[in-house]
Amino acid sequence: MAAASSSDSDSGRAESNEASSKWLDAHYDPMANIHTFSACLALADLHGDGEYKLVVGDLGPGGQQPRLKVLKGPAVLSESPLPALPAAAVTFLMEQHEPRTPALALASGPCVYVYKNLRPYFKFSLPQLPPNPLEQDLWNQAKEDRIDPLTLKEMLEGIREKAEVPLSVQSLRFLQLELSEMEAFVNQHKSKSIKRQTVITTMTTLKKNLADEDAVSCLVLGTESKELLVLDPEAFTILAKMSLPSVPVFLEVSGQFDVEFRLAAACRNGNIYMLRRDSKRPKYCIELSAQPVGLVRVHKVLVVGSNQDSLHGFTHKGKRLWTVQMPAAILTMNLLEQCSRGLQAVMAGLANGEVRIYHDKALLNVIRTPDAVTSLCFGRYGREDNTLIMTTRGGGLIIKILKRTAVFAERAGEAGPPPAQAVKLNVPRKTRLYVDQTLREREAGTAMHRTFQADLYLLRLRAARAYVQALESSLSPVSATAREPLKLHAVVQGLGPTFKLTLHLQNTSTARPILGLLVCFLYNEVLYALPRAFFKVPLLVPGLSYPLETFVESLSDKGISDIIKVLVLREGQSAPLLSAHINMPMSEGLAAA
Amino acid sequence: MIWNTRNSAYTFTAPEFPILEKQNWLIHLHYIRKDYEACKAVIKEQLQETQGLCEYAIYVQALIFRLEGNIQESLELFQTCAVLSPQCADNLKQVARSLFLLGKHKAAIEVYNEAAKLNQKDWEICHNLGVCYIYLKQFNKAQDQLHNALHLNRHDLTYIMLGKIHLLEGDLDKAIEIYKKAVEFSPENTELLTTLGLLYLQLGIYQKAFEHLGNALTYDPTNYKAILAAGSMMQTHGDFDVALTKYRVVACAVPESPPLWNNIGMCFFGKKKYVAAISCLKRANYLAPFDWKILYNLGLVHLTMQQYASAFHFLSAAINFQPKMGELYMLLAVALTNLEDTENARRAYAEAVRLDKCNPLVNLNYAVLLYSQGEKGGARAQYQEMEKKVNLLKDGSSLDFDPEMVEVAQKLGAALQVGEGLVWTKPVKDPKSKHRTTSTSKATSFQQPLGSNQALGQAMSSAAACRKPPSGAGGTSQLTKPPSLPLEPEPPVAAQPPEASAQTREK
Repeated sequence: MAAASSSDSDSGRAESNEASSKWLDAHYDPMANIHTFSACLALADLHGDGEYKLVVGDLGPGGQQPRLKVLKGPAVLSESPLPALPAAAVTFLMEQHEPRTPALALASGPCVYVYKNLRPYFKFSLPQLPPNPLEQDLWNQAKEDRIDPLTLKEMLEGIREKAEVPLSVQSLRFLQLELSEMEAFVNQHKSKSIKRQTVITTMTTLKKNLADEDAVSCLVLGTESKELLVLDPEAFTILAKMSLPSVPVFLEVSGQFDVEFRLAAACRNGNIYMLRRDSKRPKYCIELSAQPVGLVRVHKVLVVGSNQDSLHGFTHKGKRLWTVQMPAAILTMNLLEQCSRGLQAVMAGLANGEVRIYHDKALLNVIRTPDAVTSLCFGRYGREDNTLIMTTRGGGLIIKILKRTAVFAERAGEAGPPPAQAVKLNVPRKTRLYVDQTLREREAGTAMHRTFQADLYLLRLRAARAYVQALESSLSPVSATAREPLKLHAVVQGLGPTFKLTLHLQNTSTARPILGLLVCFLYNEVLYALPRAFFKVPLLVPGLSYPLETFVESLSDKGISDIIKVLVLREGQSAPLLSAHINMPMSEGLAAA
Repeated sequence: MIWNTRNSAYTFTAPEFPILEKQNWLIHLHYIRKDYEACKAVIKEQLQETQGLCEYAIYVQALIFRLEGNIQESLELFQTCAVLSPQCADNLKQVARSLFLLGKHKAAIEVYNEAAKLNQKDWEICHNLGVCYIYLKQFNKAQDQLHNALHLNRHDLTYIMLGKIHLLEGDLDKAIEIYKKAVEFSPENTELLTTLGLLYLQLGIYQKAFEHLGNALTYDPTNYKAILAAGSMMQTHGDFDVALTKYRVVACAVPESPPLWNNIGMCFFGKKKYVAAISCLKRANYLAPFDWKILYNLGLVHLTMQQYASAFHFLSAAINFQPKMGELYMLLAVALTNLEDTENARRAYAEAVRLDKCNPLVNLNYAVLLYSQGEKGGARAQYQEMEKKVNLLKDGSSLDFDPEMVEVAQKLGAALQVGEGLVWTKPVKDPKSKHRTTSTSKATSFQQPLGSNQALGQAMSSAAACRKPPSGAGGTSQLTKPPSLPLEPEPPVAAQPPEASAQTREK
């Protein structure tokens, strides 16, 4: 709550100059039907005409219709269906030749689809993972019918328990089968070689050997098999392979492949691993103890958003520099780079419909959006250098242009007191009544006190007397005698003239059953009639509640009701063990009859 | 699309198996964005397609179940995951975590130990083992595990847990050591800063306490605990207006906090806005009816307002909750004296004297009552008792005594013809000090005058003056209690409720 209120104020201040906002609203289409992640947005001059297009790997509503969309300005230029959901989209230069139009790479499932001039150009498939040799051997035996399905199952299970290399889908599926289905399954599948295929989880680009803006780039892929692959931009061969302790989710790369590069991979186990050119394994590790939701490099600082609503800054050696708390969950993050002013900042789309822009710890700007932003991208679009493209949770598309005059200034001394400090305390007002009472108490305090004390004693006396009386005449519904600890409560059901009276009798002793109890009803015989006014209670087993039902007929037609007394007695004793007074309801059925 | 063509020859012989992990990345992305509905939809689809073989989908489904509070279901799913890949420490960790949440700490420890075999160098396993041991009250083992965790990788949470163990063992100094290290490691963690500040406050090291609380407020100006603690320190120094401004922030954030309204009430009391004080204290009392400190303050304010009958009720309620405090009986006696119930007043004083060890006021007030009843002998005995306490206090620290108390004591001494003047060798230095805070607080190790309410003293005296002769019975100088220590011993639970350690009270 505190965080929320403070955030309102922060954003209030950042937004205070609404008129002189830094952004121009270029386009907003709430029905653009774009559902995607930041990783699937890319801006590029795809046709080499100086007009930058937006490439969207769209998952479709509910992830059902994956499509590749290319937008020019506010309109969709082309749209083509994809065979599977896109995990990432990047644009990169493949070769040095003129015209230097960038290619588009889309990672989807186990493949990277490369487009040039928006035409399919090349499909790269991840190499198959090596199968477990033992498993392979088993299936070979099965193929030659040297092994029966049951033994096969046992052996495979043995492999699953211990082996480093996991089983193939085929074996796993086989292990799930019932005995009767095994034979058929083996016959159907034994001729196939076993395969282990993995998928791409994330993709980014890395400059090959030049640091220029338009230099040739390699693709860097992260796979479900906890590996990172660097692909050659022309031949699409694997240049380098690195392994990680967990599955990479986000990648951030800087440097050049042939010279030196640094690679940060945020992984599913909540850690971020840093790799260098020569390292096959991670060199440093940041343990977040939360899940990273975004990874952006600003100059030399690695900014990580965690799912505990905070942004952290780390050095490339994994030392934590700062932490900023967000008012809501972070949905997506991306880099804002304003080349003309040499500014690099982090944009974070939050669940409360804000996009916050941070330069290190300092909040530069807050953009309010009508819906929560789920993907962000900043760069040259069309012919405008500084364009911010956002898509929202509901599938909307928002395009904003940064004003050329806009300068992001870090607000100096933003600390200030929180705005809540200006809110007046809600102290109740004093009332006339209160003042009068106070005065009276001052005047006659002693008398009040004495009267009160006297009455209090009287009350206590009466309560004590009533209690003693109740104990003496067993009027209470709970009997606490050592021999017969009993509890009684009664329920009356019905509208009348016939009621159902249910007594719940419970033996509260821990072990001893109670025998020889009687129940007796005392009532006005003019008003009520009961079939049995006196009956024996069965043996009461400790702990159980025994419902004893009886019908009560109301005889009077004058709409009067009376009390029925229930007495629980022990055989041979005249004093009741306990008793209950039941206030009978008025008979309503009578009026109708 | 050129690649969209399928090799149709294969489809006759055997269907291709889908890749199990095909949509794991999507499940994960939805999960970290907390878009659980979308996540569940993808998981369902994936599990249908793979006939329940996709381990990661089950894993995330279990995580979501756990977040939704269905711990038992999540435990079962995690166990399924552990069957699907028995070599994975993650699955075991999650099984253990679910067991932990179900309160089965011993079982959790067993599973964590299993997991530790698979992954030796995981701080999380060590940390969680430590937490489990805390719950089982095996503090030594817990400490070992937490130190192991710190050795592997330093995390704020581990420091907090270690500190908590020391607090549970009642070892404040060690706890402070741990928190100091923690603050060094992460200087911007407001929780650590606040806890350290509160610990210093508890030890009476006010300078450092204020420093750390101030730091915490710099990083998070809306930190509830830090504001309450800092506010109560300001109150003890008489900065009521500053404290009130700070409290406004808390009042917005946590409007139903009893200690907050208690402190606000006592701020108004310090500013002599008695009606506002009563409103705020009554609100605090409404929010926490069983808190004797609030009742104590209510009794005090009503005494000031000469509403002795009301004061009696609040004080007797407070005594019901806290029957071991001499000052409460003394206040009750004052109320009774004013209600002209001398007999009970004497009994209350007798109880107060029996319980109290170091507050000279108790004896002084008793002596005044006895004197006014004409029992000079008894009065003299109480007076001497008071002198003893005063001497003790003077030896212990350089406390200033409330000038009004000194005055009354001197008058009484003259009336009783005992050698006064000996006790008050250190007279009140200058008249100005009367406007500063004064204190006859309990002889705790306070270096500064704290916990005073000189306003109350004045109010009481003026009240007494207009009704009775100055040396009349009772209620001359009422003194307030020093602020109770803000950090109360916490219940042995890992998740601490925010209030538990922020019970700052100004009395």
